Order: sequence, then structure tokens, then C-alpha cells
Amino acid sequence: MIRLENVTKVYDGGVVAVKDVALEIAKGEFVFLVGPSGSGKSTLIRLMMREDQPTNGDIWVAGKHASAMANWKIPHLRRSIGTVFQDFKLLPNKTVYENVAFALEVTGRPRSVIRNQVPQVLKLVGLSANAERYPRQLSGGEQQRVSIARAFVNRPLILLADEPTGNLDPATSVGIMRILDRINRTGTTVVMATHDHAIVDAMRRRVVQLERGRLVRDQRSGVYERRSRSAGAITEELVAPLAVPPAPRLDPEIPARQPETASPPPPAAEVAPTPSAPPPEAALPEDEPETTS
Amino acid sequence: MSLQYVFIEAFNNIRRNALVVLGAILAVFISLLLMFGTLIFGEIARINTLRWSEDVRVIVFLRDEFRDVDELQEEVQGWEEVAEVFYLSKSAAYDEALELLRNNTAARRVIEEQPTILPASLRVRPADLTDYDTIVQRLQGSPGVEQIITAGPQVDALAGLRDGLRVVFWVLSIALGVAAVALIANTIHMAIYARREEIEIMRLVGASNWFVRIPFLLEGMLEGLFGGILAIAVAVFVYRLSLDRLTDLPTFINIQIGNEFLVRWGVLTLVFGVLVGAVGSSLSLAVHRYLRT
Repeated sequence: MIRLENVTKVYDGGVVAVKDVALEIAKGEFVFLVGPSGSGKSTLIRLMMREDQPTNGDIWVAGKHASAMANWKIPHLRRSIGTVFQDFKLLPNKTVYENVAFALEVTGRPRSVIRNQVPQVLKLVGLSANAERYPRQLSGGEQQRVSIARAFVNRPLILLADEPTGNLDPATSVGIMRILDRINRTGTTVVMATHDHAIVDAMRRRVVQLERGRLVRDQRSGVYERRSRSAGAITEELVAPLAVPPAPRLDPEIPARQPETASPPPPAAEVAPTPSAPPPEAALPEDEPETTS
Repeated sequence: MSLQYVFIEAFNNIRRNALVVLGAILAVFISLLLMFGTLIFGEIARINTLRWSEDVRVIVFLRDEFRDVDELQEEVQGWEEVAEVFYLSKSAAYDEALELLRNNTAARRVIEEQPTILPASLRVRPADLTDYDTIVQRLQGSPGVEQIITAGPQVDALAGLRDGLRVVFWVLSIALGVAAVALIANTIHMAIYARREEIEIMRLVGASNWFVRIPFLLEGMLEGLFGGILAIAVAVFVYRLSLDRLTDLPTFINIQIGNEFLVRWGVLTLVFGVLVGAVGSSLSLAVHRYLRT
């Protein structure tokens, strides 16, 4: 469904965002892209949706050679990809229904299809009762569900989500993950970039980890982070300039978490039966950390 | 894509930036008013100086029985005061008279009854447009000459005025036309900026490039059209008003121009206005980063 071959992306100014990444994602898979900010997750998502072109390498998405296709063909590629972002990207002057219908309208779908599909997908995300509301009248989680509904309404083959729970509290995030899981169960390939340890650890899906643009781990039923000494060293090196003092090193459990203080603390019990789980981390330190595919 | 959608979008844009749009429309209006006014004025001048067009200042009517026209033409052509001589046959003279007397039905009927009444003639363009007495004197004795008429100071003045004004008006029209294009480009630029979120989402969900662009293109064309309609309305109104008011003009000046002329050039002026709008919006669409793929 998605194949990346030796993909490198260097932005203007020489910033290497993605370096020599090879990745194959099969139809129907659910894949987490994890890694610290700036590790290249978002760039990878942008490359997959052909918002950017790789500097080197080839990308195939939904059977199309995305990295080599002409610009005018991009809209057709996009119709087989749904996209969800951290900031929802809803239109404030349109209702929930209109926001979702917009995706079908602008791709020229007949009105009968719109009238049929929009209520269906609103039901899927549990927003049937809010169809006539405006985004500002909704909570963050509800807004994100609208944006998922919009991404899914034309039944794309692939759903790309760039930190969809980044602005949401843990309990709300659980609701979002349930919906993404449900969408994945319909056969849709889901690729989700995230910082959210709890979610990744609870879902136990394939985890692809990036560090400074390189793919450092690709693991079935993975967790957010397992630190080999080297990976930990890299993280520390990255975090060093920040105000986190080396002190936490004394405690083997803290350094794993502390650099990511921005991410939500204890996840909701429904998803993660072992909330804020430091024990698993302590238990798993030497577990084959780098199975680069 | 539905036509209704496209028009609603275009009108909404215009409404949102009413003041800026008004500025652009006014620029188109003034530019096209000058252009259309120049065309009307030029037509009036042309009708009144028809025989003296192409800088003819001396007309030599020939006797019907005169046979050595070619020799005479050759001889006159040889004179250093003469820039050019051409021959107008009896049938060409008939056509010319019909045109000259377009608004004088009585005189036209006389000619139509006797198509051969008008003599053939030699038309002389002097080397010096203001001094052609010598030519007249030298021709006076020639055997085939029936009568010689010269342009006289009024025609010299009118023709000079016409040429001078024409240059000024065209330069002004073009300069204002360029300004109109730039102002329309600006309104479209603002419309695109105002709707950048919507455009971003349209592109995310796979709206084709044309679907995104056509409303903006149409908006520019509508602005051009409005400016054109305004220009024609005002020009025709002023022209009609002067027809009513200027009743005591000297009889040799004819300010009647045909409706056919007004309609033909009116339509062309409108087309030109739409074109100005299309060029303006295309410029804006071409450079705008929200639309770049």
C-alpha cells in the first residue's frame, strides 16, 4: 500500500529531515511513526501524501508512483488518502455536516452521494447529534472526530494522521484511537505519527521509530520506546541543551519519561490497563531494540 | 463541478472585499471608457475626414473622356512636392460617396440613381502636408483635369487633432489597462489569502487544481465585465447626450455614427474588459503560493 525506497529529504538550507528511509506498509496495517520532535515523522507523512517531494529515493502510495507523478495528478492521489492533523483544519464558518460534505463537494461527487455518505460517517465518529453545530461549539476531541470523518468520508485506502491526539487530553485521545482503530478494521491502512507513549504502548501495533531522520526501529506489536544504551544516549544528547539536568540519570526509570514531559502523563485506564507504566519499561530494557527493517 | 457553486463562490469573494473590488472595477471602467471613447471619437473623425484619410490633401477630379490617366499619374508622381499619387475609379468613388453620405438620404438617393455621375480622381499625398499650393498650380493646366479640391485648414486641423489625441488616448488607455490588470490581480490575491484555509483543505482532500482556481478566475472576469459594462453605459450616455445638445454644429461636421459601430465595438470592449480580468486573476493565481503544487 505504501513503499518507500531509500528516501531522503533535504529541505532548503540543508536540513536533512529524512535520511535513507526504506519502509513497506501492507494493506490494512496500522503503523505508528514514533520519535522525538524533528526526527522526521511529519516529513515522512508529507512525503507520503505528496505534499513534498523526496530529494532522493522513490515512494509508492496506493499503487501510484507518488514521487514521480506529475503535479496535476496529485489531486487523484489525494482522493485515495485521508489526512488528519493535530490542528484539525476545520472551516470555522461551516457546520460539522458541511465540513465533512466539503470533502465530497470539492471532488465533484453528486449530491445524492453526499446526502448518503455524510450521515453515515458522522455516525461512525459518534457525532450524528452535532451535525448542525459549528466547530467553535465543539470540544477539541469532537473537532478531531469531525476531521477524521472528513478524511474518511470518501473511503480512502490510506489514512495518514500526523499527531492526531497532540492537542487532546488522554481520555479524549482514547476516543480518537477507538475511531482510528475502527477505521483500520474496515481495511483502511492507517499511518499515525505520534508522541503519545500511552497510546502506542496500549495499542500494540507496528511501531516505526525515527531518530534524526533515520529509521532506527521497525517492530511488530511494538511499544513507544525501548532504550538500548545507544538510543538512550542519542536522546540524552538531543535533550541536553534543554533544561533537563543530567540528574535523572541516577534513576533508571525517569530518563525514559522525563525528556517527553510534554506528552500526556497517565493514560486512561480503558486503553492502557497499566497506566503510566514504568514497570514495563524497566522490564524491557534489553529487548532487541533495533530491528531496522 | 456545479456552475452554481462556482458563481456563488465568485460572488461571495466580491462581496467580502467590496471596497478593493470597487477600486479594481473603477480602474477597468476608466481604462475602457477612454478606450471606447477614443474609438467613438476616432470614428467621428474618420467619417468627417474620409476623403482626406491617408494624408491626401489634393483631389484631382478627371474628365470622363480623359484616357491618359496612367501618364498623368506617373508624371505627378515624379514631382518632388508629391509623396504619393493613387487613382480612384468611378466605381470606387461611388462606394466612397455612399459612405460619406451615410446620413444624408436625399443626396444618397441621387447618387444611387446615377451610379456613374461621380468622376474618377487622382488622390495626392503631398510631401509637406501643410503646403500643397505648388501642386495645385502645376496641375491646373493639365488637359484631363475637371476640378481640383484641397483639404483646407479645417481638415488639416481635424486630422492633426485626431492623430494627436489618438496617441494620447491609446497611451492612457494602455497605462490604465495595465493598472486595471494589477488592481484585479490584487483583489484576487486578497481573495485567495482570505480563503487560504479553505484552499489548503480543498487540496488536502483532492480537489482538482481547476476546481480550486476557476472561482478566482471567474471573479476577475466578472470584475472586468462590470467595469466594461459601466464604461459602455457611460460612453453611450455621453454620446447620446452630445447628439441632443450639439445641434448648432457647422453643417460640414457630422457626429452621427452608426449603431452597428457602437454595438460591434461595444461588444469588443466588453470582451476586452473580461480579458483584462482574466489576465489579472491568472497573474495572481500563477504566483500565489497557496495554489502552487
